[in-house]
Amino acid sequence: MIVQRIKLRDFRNYPEATFDLTGGVTAVIGENGQGKTNLAEAMAYLATLGSFRGVTPDALIRVGSEQAVIRADVVHDDGRMLLVEAEINRNGRNRVFVNKQRLVRARDLLGVVRVSVFSPDDLALVKGGPAERRTFLDDALVALAPKHDALQRDVDRILRQRNTLLKQAGGRVSPEVALTLDVWDAKFAETGDELGRVRAALVANLEPALREAYSALADRETPAGATYEPTWRKEGLAAALAASRADDLKRAVTTVGPHRDDLDLLVNAMPARTHASQGEQRTLALAMRMAVHRLVADQVGTPPILVLDDVLSELDAGRARALLGHLPVGQVILTTATALPEHARPDRVLRIAAGCVSGNQ
Amino acid sequence: MAATYAPPVQALIDELGRLPGIGPKSAQRIAFHLLKLPTPDAERLATAIVDAKAKVRFCDLCFNVAEDLLCGICADDRRDATVLCVVEEARDIVALEKTGEFRGRYHVLLGAISPIEGIGPEQLKVRELLTRLADASVTEVIVCTNPNVEGEATAMYLARLLKPLGLTVTRLASGLPVGGDLEYADELTLGRALEGRRAMD
Ligand SMILES: [Zn+2]
Repeated sequence: MIVQRIKLRDFRNYPEATFDLTGGVTAVIGENGQGKTNLAEAMAYLATLGSFRGVTPDALIRVGSEQAVIRADVVHDDGRMLLVEAEINRNGRNRVFVNKQRLVRARDLLGVVRVSVFSPDDLALVKGGPAERRTFLDDALVALAPKHDALQRDVDRILRQRNTLLKQAGGRVSPEVALTLDVWDAKFAETGDELGRVRAALVANLEPALREAYSALADRETPAGATYEPTWRKEGLAAALAASRADDLKRAVTTVGPHRDDLDLLVNAMPARTHASQGEQRTLALAMRMAVHRLVADQVGTPPILVLDDVLSELDAGRARALLGHLPVGQVILTTATALPEHARPDRVLRIAAGCVSGNQ
Repeated sequence: MAATYAPPVQALIDELGRLPGIGPKSAQRIAFHLLKLPTPDAERLATAIVDAKAKVRFCDLCFNVAEDLLCGICADDRRDATVLCVVEEARDIVALEKTGEFRGRYHVLLGAISPIEGIGPEQLKVRELLTRLADASVTEVIVCTNPNVEGEATAMYLARLLKPLGLTVTRLASGLPVGGDLEYADELTLGRALEGRRAMD
């Protein structure tokens, strides 16, 4: 699957812009602040219906506008053409149209376009808090199978309901509250156990690819690893919730479950966040993205669109070669502020300045 | 933001903004649309609201919409009094009636358990359901709440509440569009889900 053309209207800094992309490598060159990352963000929106920069969708609408539109011509491997249009509205629902037909639920778009974004911000995967890593795992799960999105949203919703009930209870448990809390516990346990199970399976599948990617990128033979072993998974979430109920009621918040988990990252058998060098952390973050890209390509059967947002310029020639050499490559969009790195051989070069694009077909 | 419209306009916007699914911007848009309507059109809308409110009430027994003390279904003694179908809203009855698969009676909860919206069992017609079940004629309760988080939680709550009463509590078979409302399901799917209902543990 490739995106042949992407048109943006009132998206971030673009009043109106068209990008003609090739099925191979399209390089996008522009000074910082001209909108390179915004293009990457628009591509990623088609895959996740969210921003990879962790902002709410209304931040994607150009200042002073009510609506942003992303319009993409998608060509499937079998030659089928799809026109995907995503509207982001400042007021009212965000809507998605496929071939001019409105999807009843915008989230039915998930799985139509798959995108892997590599960005310098990925360092936060290693240096940032557990939430960054949970998002990393959960995004990977959705890229592998869109049904995981419904599971994650159920877990979030049930958690919010349970936390609200805990606050309303104010520390007191009437028999009425106890019966309702039992129900939310059962629902949270059911969906939370399932999310824990699929995350653990994902990490087990990801680890070999992570090790391989890391050793391909690192100069020295240092082993990298990742483990996901929340303690509640040993006894099951139902038992863990029962054990923490008194505490949860006192604090009016759910203290155990998948929303508190972390993915433990290791370099040389030591925690990467505290013990690895900045260079090792960068390499590990890159290796994590590479591992997901490979896993999705293997399991889905076709590589996601690879968006390398300003990452090649940070790498020396050897690592850049290792990166490109180790990825299953389909369509690539590569953005850079500087001149193109020598090893990048684009099929087309687009230039952007102040939201204007040149070099289209 | 300070009110900058004339008081009658602001009042209209405020009232519209209280409706479900209507945000402040939509309320504004609808208000100005209404102001542009020819007077008879606006009057027709106002009369329809006042009429519906005056003539339609909730059924004393099942909380379906009714024009009398009892709704048409509760008043119809050809309906099977041993099976009760519990739904969230009266509009779900319409969806279930279209399947032609169900001959029992209904009970409308007027919502689903949702702490976020301040709705617990006490805010729903649960006590009234227990009162109805106290006379032993009902033997099976089919829980037809929506297949979303709140509907599923409500179903589990009811199952736990009703099981000790010695009733059979069943739930629609899976296969309904997950996360949505009953009304999204087509008649055939809903009919099949009703036929394939299963006892809840
Ligand atoms: Zn009735």
